[in-house]
Amino acid sequence: MNATKHIELRGVRKTFKFFSLEELSLDLEPGQIMGLVGPNGAGKSTTIRIAMGLVAPDAGEVRLLGHSLPEHQAVAKRDVGFVSEEMKLFPHASVGWHMDFTASIYPGWDAEYAAKLTKRFNLRREQTVKSLSSGEHMKALMLLTLARRPRLLVLDEPTTGLDPVARHELLSEFMDVLRDDSRSILFSSHNTADVERVSDRITFIDRGRLVDSRDKEEFLERWRRVQIQLPAGASAPQPAHVVGSVVDGQFVTLTTDHFSDEWLASVGAGVRAVQRMSLEEIFVASVFHHREARGE
Amino acid sequence: MNVLTRKLIAKELHQHGWIVSTVTLVGLGSLLMATQGKMQFNIGLLVWLSTMIALGVILVLTGITNERKERSLLYVLSLPLSGGDYVHIKLAGLMACFGLAWLALSAAAVALVVLDADVPDGMLPYGILLCVYLLANFAVVLCAGLHIRAEGPMTAVVVVTNMGVTVFMFTVGATPALHDHMFGSAPVWNSAFWVTLAIELAVTAAALILPLLVAARRRDHL
Repeated sequence: MNATKHIELRGVRKTFKFFSLEELSLDLEPGQIMGLVGPNGAGKSTTIRIAMGLVAPDAGEVRLLGHSLPEHQAVAKRDVGFVSEEMKLFPHASVGWHMDFTASIYPGWDAEYAAKLTKRFNLRREQTVKSLSSGEHMKALMLLTLARRPRLLVLDEPTTGLDPVARHELLSEFMDVLRDDSRSILFSSHNTADVERVSDRITFIDRGRLVDSRDKEEFLERWRRVQIQLPAGASAPQPAHVVGSVVDGQFVTLTTDHFSDEWLASVGAGVRAVQRMSLEEIFVASVFHHREARGE
Repeated sequence: MNVLTRKLIAKELHQHGWIVSTVTLVGLGSLLMATQGKMQFNIGLLVWLSTMIALGVILVLTGITNERKERSLLYVLSLPLSGGDYVHIKLAGLMACFGLAWLALSAAAVALVVLDADVPDGMLPYGILLCVYLLANFAVVLCAGLHIRAEGPMTAVVVVTNMGVTVFMFTVGATPALHDHMFGSAPVWNSAFWVTLAIELAVTAAALILPLLVAARRRDHL
């Protein structure tokens, strides 16, 4: 029997004055951590807001934990923890007030875990929200969300603006959440290092369009940069599935998204180096290739 | 009404409790001052009026406009409620906040007219119409706050409704059917009073129903 997908977007479109999201389809399976990666203005936040039912699409279908959105968002959101870099708690209320408030709404509130997180994040219950630094504010949001033990965490740029220590603390907590393999996370960021660290599936988005979506390991295995030294007078080889090519004198650097032993054999002799690519390099190459293919 | 709705309405009362109690105390104090003489009456009435108008504006600006501007709205909407629920909660919560102060200050104003021998009882119909006008005025500002997202138009609504209070006082106060009995020893409940009251209540009801029909049915709440 198929488990209910935690997020399902089918052919979602949304048009604003200066931006549109085009035919976006996306699935988040239970237990999966999906990193939604894109440059600023790519449509990550819009996608997440649509997935949360906060913004209604012009076309397409959205389901959150099996509930159709935006109609049934109130029921769906009971089991979803949503945190956004843009989200702010009530400035004049204290951290403790927010904890009590959240505990009173969600039956799954884990007071012991909340106390542990309060200590770990070095927060104090009596602090008012307006006195918190941006890092502390994000930690407070994470505390309120994680202590509810939601089945699905939706995090929109949660590590933006945080110092490396705070980022490490938060990312470690995400990993803890995933010890229970029925829970899942949708995590958007333009910081590929964070995404590479926690995600098991990556989705690239650019200018409102889905560029690619697959398992992280598949990305890392399929993408390579290959340096070839050409014999004098020879022209550069043109194997299939080359997404980028840079010629520097006798040397040619090819970037492929279909790397395999067979592909390497098709390049022929003269291969001097085969380099693995970081997720950031893959992301940048993928976005540029996608834009080029669309003639942008 | 579910637990979350109740909690969020209680949150409005908690968040705005200090301003509601401050305004109520200042308003009651100003009415007390109004019993001390003619000039004190004029000053007291002005303070009473100003506190009620200010309360309405502050509640809408802090409870809706600033919540949106300071991005706490995103937090509220992340809770298990719909955009429609949010509109219901704001209407009920902010109306409760204003209503508490309004009830106390209106009752005190009526008591002042009835109990103070220096204030003619003929003022009672006009006083009641003024109190209900302030309620309608708040309902209109609240309705605007739930529909208008830009600061400029919202500021315009606040300015126009504030000016509206002065216009109301001078036009309704100058209506012969009301004015002619204002300084009498007994209140006159004539048709001019009832028609004006009915209009005020209709405006209040319309301003409170409109958000349920329009703002609550919006597809995008951010």
